[in-house]
Amino acid sequence: MNENKSKYIVMPFNFKLFDNEHVLLVNDAGDYYFLKTSDFDNLINYKLDKRSAIYQDLNSRQLVSDYNDIDLSIELLSTKYRSIKSFLRNFTSLHMMVITLRCNHKCRYCQVTSEVEEAYKYDMSPETARRVVDYIFYSPSHNIKIEFQGGEPLLNWSTIVSTVDYAEVLNKKYKKNLEFVICTNLTLLDEEKINFINNHNIAISTSLDGNKFLHDKNRILRNGKSSYDLFIEKLELARKMLTRNRISALMTTTIDNIDKLNIVIDEYIKLGFDGIFLRALNPYGLASKYVNDIGYPIEKFISAFEEALNYIIEINIKGKRFIEYYTALLLKRILTPFGTGFVDLQSPSGAGIAGVIYDFNGDIYPADEARMLARMGDKHFLMGNVFKDNYIDIFNGEVISDIVKKSCLDAMPGCATCVYKTYCGADPIRNYLETKDIVGHRPSSNFCKKHMGLFDIILNKLKNNKEEEMNVFWSWISY
Amino acid sequence: MKEIIVQIEENKLLIELKKQFYEKEAVFAAAYKFTNLCSIIIEPTDDYSIGVYFQLLKDNDKVDLEKIAKDFCNEVLDQQVRLDLEKRYGNIKNLIVQQAFNPIKNLKDSINE
Repeated sequence: MNENKSKYIVMPFNFKLFDNEHVLLVNDAGDYYFLKTSDFDNLINYKLDKRSAIYQDLNSRQLVSDYNDIDLSIELLSTKYRSIKSFLRNFTSLHMMVITLRCNHKCRYCQVTSEVEEAYKYDMSPETARRVVDYIFYSPSHNIKIEFQGGEPLLNWSTIVSTVDYAEVLNKKYKKNLEFVICTNLTLLDEEKINFINNHNIAISTSLDGNKFLHDKNRILRNGKSSYDLFIEKLELARKMLTRNRISALMTTTIDNIDKLNIVIDEYIKLGFDGIFLRALNPYGLASKYVNDIGYPIEKFISAFEEALNYIIEINIKGKRFIEYYTALLLKRILTPFGTGFVDLQSPSGAGIAGVIYDFNGDIYPADEARMLARMGDKHFLMGNVFKDNYIDIFNGEVISDIVKKSCLDAMPGCATCVYKTYCGADPIRNYLETKDIVGHRPSSNFCKKHMGLFDIILNKLKNNKEEEMNVFWSWISY
Repeated sequence: MKEIIVQIEENKLLIELKKQFYEKEAVFAAAYKFTNLCSIIIEPTDDYSIGVYFQLLKDNDKVDLEKIAKDFCNEVLDQQVRLDLEKRYGNIKNLIVQQAFNPIKNLKDSINE
């Protein structure tokens, strides 16, 4: 350091002109600060008064440092940085298994292009499932979550049962934190299955796009009939029988419900859900094929998201606790030094090193989207197969190595200097889909536009610092 | 502003920047942000200046090229400030990451290196 000792040291941060009056500063530890543009000029020209409140604020966030305290500032930043990157110490913990590609639904946005109910050749056999579980337990991670996906996984119930039983037996030896999740449309749920789910403490993740009219717009049974009434019937059965309320739902935003998200939110509350994940359409499978019918510009999603978020905040202010989960996740990154473990938004990408998916035939992909891409005919991300390749070759192979090397935001054009870098992550699979290059092209990336838009919305609320809104935000990240 | 933006032909502009103020890294980083709208060529115009040629991509004929050029001017300034700051905080960023994963024995000495 060659700065004059009477002055201060400007510490590393990224910044952007947030509005006409403020510059937003964010460092690698996630600390942020809004400075008036004139104060920003003073900061970088070493004209800030060290006795001023602004200097003290910046110093407390390690955005500047006194020359004599520089080692302490580095220690503090390092500790926070280590916490944010703690997911790197845990290798793959989320293991998704495609139990079958068969489905009794034919959703217009199906990302995996599911198969008809009679296509049994797309079922994962119990033998394949056991082999997959063996590989799952090779993971050095102490936390193991096995997520059953499809198609509709309940169509191959016997494989789910044998997988859970086998994993629990293996875990007597390995003693890991073992969790199960079934991703299901609920419609094939019955008392026998719910009893099993109860006995093995399995969580349920389902899909709900709104009220009957909105839900049935895209989520239709394979025979073309409504799925909503059956969904409600089974949801009520599950709620009645489940010993723990472990049902969460995901929604998909299409052109049909994007202007009616308040109706979707009301439906979630009516049906007893604790929150909602406002999720944009992903360009895979049928969603890619019918994008002109059900898609929308990403700017429209951002404005609909903001409107829906305001609606949800108002509901909370009136006394009903209801969470927008994606905002809660981003807030946790912005307001706390803790890692969130969300595999879809990490640097380096969580694809492969945090989550992995095993297809029905034992093929392994680093992410659900990579499996979807393979269903579209491109097996670029195929890591190997549980019958043909050993664990080390699969998880130490070129696919994962390439993803990790090329998905560190610090080394990605457009990301390295982005003010939201600390809170954001890379999506190498989406980049590859859009550009045939896993580094991607930020200026034309909808993933980038979406996240810049969402971060702007949230940071603007933090800047305005309205007490009622802040109380809601803190309640969401304190659960 | 007019002195540095030169209209070469319809849908093609040249911006000249002084090397004395703008580094290659800042010019490249700024140009990258406009590659969804334009094809861009960067080359020296003389010993003291860098020329940045903007040509609209074919499917972007509704975009205002002059506005892009003006936005580029602000962006390159923004990128140059980032570079200048990075030089000032020197190796601190690397020390933070190193200290996080492999604590340094004599941190103060490393800071002064």
